[in-house]
Amino acid sequence: MIASAKRLLDRWRGGGEHAVTVPPMDGALRPNEAIEEAPVLVEAAAPDNLATDGARLMFSSGASVLELFSSGARAATKPFAAFDSPVSALALGPGGSVAAGLERGGIALRGGRHDCLVMEQIGGRALSCVTALLFEGEDTLVVALGSQRNGPDRWRHDLLQRNASGSVWRVTLPGGQATCLADGLAWPCGLAAAPDGGLVVAESWRNRLVGLAPGRRPAPLLTDIPGYPGRLAPRAGDAGHWLAVFAPRSQLVEFVLRERDYRESMMREVDPCFWIAPALSAAQSFLEPMQVGGLKQLGVLKPWAPTRSYGLVIGLDAGHEPAVSFHSRASGQRHGVTSCVEFGGRLLATSKGGGVVVSLPLPQGGVR
Amino acid sequence: MTASEIYARWRTRLVPDHVLGEILSKNWIDNAIPVIFLVAAIAVFGSIIPNFFLFGNLTDEAREFGEIALVVLGLTIVMLAGGIDLSVGSTFALANFITLALINWQGWPAGAAIACALLAGALVGLVNGFLVGYLRLRAFLTTLVMLIVIRAVVDTLVLNYSTKVVVPAVRSPVWDYISFEDIRGVPVAFIVAAVLAVAGHVFLTRLRPGWHILAVGGSRRSAYNAGLAVRRTVATTYVISGTLAAAGGVFYASRLGAATASTGVGLEVAALTAAVLGGISLGGGRGSVTKALLGAAIILVISNSLIQMGLRSGTNTLVLGVVLMIAVAIDVKWLKNRFKVLSRVYVSPAYFRLPPSPSTEEGSDSPYALNDRLHDVELIGLGEIDAAEDPILDTDDNLYFGSRQGDIIRYFGPDHKDWEVYAHVGGMPLGMAFDRQGDLLCCIAGMGLYKIVKETREVVKLTDETNRSWLSIIDDSRLRLPDDLDVAPDGRVFFSEATVRFDMHEWMVDALEARGNGRIICYDPRDGSTRTVIPGVRFANGICVAHDGKSLFYASTWSCTIERYWLEGPKKGTTETVIADLPGYPDNINRASDGTYWLAMVGMRTPAFDLALRKPGFRRRMVQQVAQDEWLFPQMNVGNVVKFNEAGEIVDCLWDRRGVNHPMITSCNEHRGYLYLGGIFNNRVGRYRIPGADPNFTNQGSYWGAGK
Repeated sequence: MIASAKRLLDRWRGGGEHAVTVPPMDGALRPNEAIEEAPVLVEAAAPDNLATDGARLMFSSGASVLELFSSGARAATKPFAAFDSPVSALALGPGGSVAAGLERGGIALRGGRHDCLVMEQIGGRALSCVTALLFEGEDTLVVALGSQRNGPDRWRHDLLQRNASGSVWRVTLPGGQATCLADGLAWPCGLAAAPDGGLVVAESWRNRLVGLAPGRRPAPLLTDIPGYPGRLAPRAGDAGHWLAVFAPRSQLVEFVLRERDYRESMMREVDPCFWIAPALSAAQSFLEPMQVGGLKQLGVLKPWAPTRSYGLVIGLDAGHEPAVSFHSRASGQRHGVTSCVEFGGRLLATSKGGGVVVSLPLPQGGVR
Repeated sequence: MTASEIYARWRTRLVPDHVLGEILSKNWIDNAIPVIFLVAAIAVFGSIIPNFFLFGNLTDEAREFGEIALVVLGLTIVMLAGGIDLSVGSTFALANFITLALINWQGWPAGAAIACALLAGALVGLVNGFLVGYLRLRAFLTTLVMLIVIRAVVDTLVLNYSTKVVVPAVRSPVWDYISFEDIRGVPVAFIVAAVLAVAGHVFLTRLRPGWHILAVGGSRRSAYNAGLAVRRTVATTYVISGTLAAAGGVFYASRLGAATASTGVGLEVAALTAAVLGGISLGGGRGSVTKALLGAAIILVISNSLIQMGLRSGTNTLVLGVVLMIAVAIDVKWLKNRFKVLSRVYVSPAYFRLPPSPSTEEGSDSPYALNDRLHDVELIGLGEIDAAEDPILDTDDNLYFGSRQGDIIRYFGPDHKDWEVYAHVGGMPLGMAFDRQGDLLCCIAGMGLYKIVKETREVVKLTDETNRSWLSIIDDSRLRLPDDLDVAPDGRVFFSEATVRFDMHEWMVDALEARGNGRIICYDPRDGSTRTVIPGVRFANGICVAHDGKSLFYASTWSCTIERYWLEGPKKGTTETVIADLPGYPDNINRASDGTYWLAMVGMRTPAFDLALRKPGFRRRMVQQVAQDEWLFPQMNVGNVVKFNEAGEIVDCLWDRRGVNHPMITSCNEHRGYLYLGGIFNNRVGRYRIPGADPNFTNQGSYWGAGK
């Protein structure tokens, strides 16, 4: 009774969960230009999902999967596989298996024991929106499905529709027996194994990480992330995870999410490129919406200007608290960091909006 | 069009939402609460008490009102200077006793007796003033002690002599007149109070000592630093208060002719309640005579009504105490939250639907097709310039523009490397033009239309106000944001005022309102008159007289149109739209050498903002909930330059695709084959070579002939 009255009051005043405020980037999240200034390992068209099995390093770029050979600051790529649809998720497993989620639907495997296996559905549900994959041994694959209503390329639609129809599955290969680990998630798009045998899932539209364990309800591990969390990667020495945050939260977007009439009109009438919605790349066209603080003063766009795109990787400690972060700010270009992996003593990250894979030095002395 | 859109459109048409904010921004709005309180009190007690509005009743009340109003006025003046005077009740009683004693017992003439009573009041005030003002004791404690001391004196006197003072020894016609007569039904006490109130109003609002009192109350330290005699001013207020309280006592004596121990008891609470209820701030510096009178009227209505209802006097004080508490709470809350409320309701977005935006796609056959021809503009004064809204050149190739620091800067031609401050004008200069004599005319934000005389560089104000429109709540006679100007062949200066509702630094808020807040104004140097020619323009911006001098073009920025106003000919006085659907926001317009016109577009339309214009509720909530830096806004980082002819056709279009070299273009001025580009948030002036342009064209030559 009191709770519902408070909700009504919040709704009217714009407080509580109806507030448009976003958490500040403070403490471990204090902005820097690390991603913007990091050396470029390789340039590629919309590099998306970096994955490694400890020996090999691959990333997806459009419909192809490229293998990356790194030697110091320079790197070379070699095509590993090409598909008939853009790749939306990638995972490397033990025994040489490579699993790729496809934008048109389905998961395709290459190499290893299950070479050329193609899955179109699991548990009676179409694999229409594979956003993240994770191998748990050679025969077990964990699959994150972002949404039941939209494909991976329609992620902005899913956010603005305020959907929460994502799910996480554990699939046994090759038969495809699947168990649903969690359902009703708001765009899960990052998976990582937790040290206790459970799973850590990035739930983007709720700006949080949740922990999944058998027989328990999803439990929040980290909330109020000032962006939309994406893919997760383990940190060396079982010391937590790397989290790629692919877009920032912004007051204006939060406000639009609460403005149903405007939002629906915008989705009906305006080209998605020009929506008031998070973006993966810095402004490309003058038809994109601008905000007051984004006005260039004396020819300069301020790094703290309000922005719909950003580059951010957060290093989480074993307790899932942010310990270190790497940024590309509003004035930069390397936005839309969709994935990262720790490989060979460096942290590699894909800037999907900036079209580069960058190599970041790990912080000295590790992270507490 | 959806139902909500139709509703929004009609609401904008029928409901003047912006009026609420304009009323709240008025200074007199502080009086609204006491007025409402007074009306409510009269309504409540008028309906409960029979004969409330009877004439005799009113006359009695007027007499009593005169007394209490005098006391409240005195207290008000003390409070305005930041103090408080609790001794008014005792002074009142003392004056009452002295008056009666001198007239009835000693047989003094009424005039001398009254003067003596007033002097006694002034003396009490002087003691207070000396202690509080010069010795800087606490006002509250000092006057509380004075309250007790004087009360003790009065009590002693009353105890010993009360019977002697009641019976008059001789009858005095003057005293009788004051006591019993009216002037056309209005008692003397009321008239004296009214006269003193008017005098007090003039004193506080028009005279130097009154201003000093308000200044001391507003900020004692600042007043001291400004060189005011703070101590003397504070002391003076107590003398005034004591004298006025004594005057109240004199009229009380004339009305009742009795000196009792209860005379004036609790009066300080009533007077304090009245003052605070009227809106005299306890903190000092805020209040007026009107407020004091309103408060006095409320207190009188309440206390008299309670007496008429037969309640005991203890109840009366209790009610007054409760009212005082409420009044203090309102005083604090209102003072704290008034500007919050105002900022929430002042911005009132209107429904506005723009026509579909023409394509700007690169390679399309649209006249606005994107290109990169401005990419290589030369830059003048990069990093030395701030806010060159409208650069213009004279026939000697010198370049003039304004700066944010309130100067007009001149870059010397022909190479534009060295510069000087041409004139300091004190406000931010926007649009400029040369008149026939070669004097530089300039619109200055927040100031008006100014002229810098060519020979002497003297800055001369031409006009800073226009005629006030009848139905406007805010005072729109004062020029708030003059933007651009041009001179007609007959010497009349036509200039645009972008908005009457916002100041220079809030111009972006005007974009969110999308109301017709701007106007075109004409200044006629022949008789020095200024009048509004075209009201209701959505951000009136660039203005340019046509090549033949028979009409003028002006830009309406938020509606993305170019309009033409006819100065002579068959269509004289009418306005027609020349370009109805620009893809961006038009800014300054200037003549081109080939008989067409250059138009700078300061920003481009975005689908998201165009949609928001159709959703006034969305924009209103955005202003209320979202931080200003995060507001959705027209795209102002990319602009372009177009050239249009008199038929409104676009004949050329220049873009800087990446907006790196010269972001934001607010003006473009052709001069000897080059186009000079200005931008208000830019730190450079651009220079673009126009292929095939007349190398001898100058604006001054185009307007006033080659001879000048």
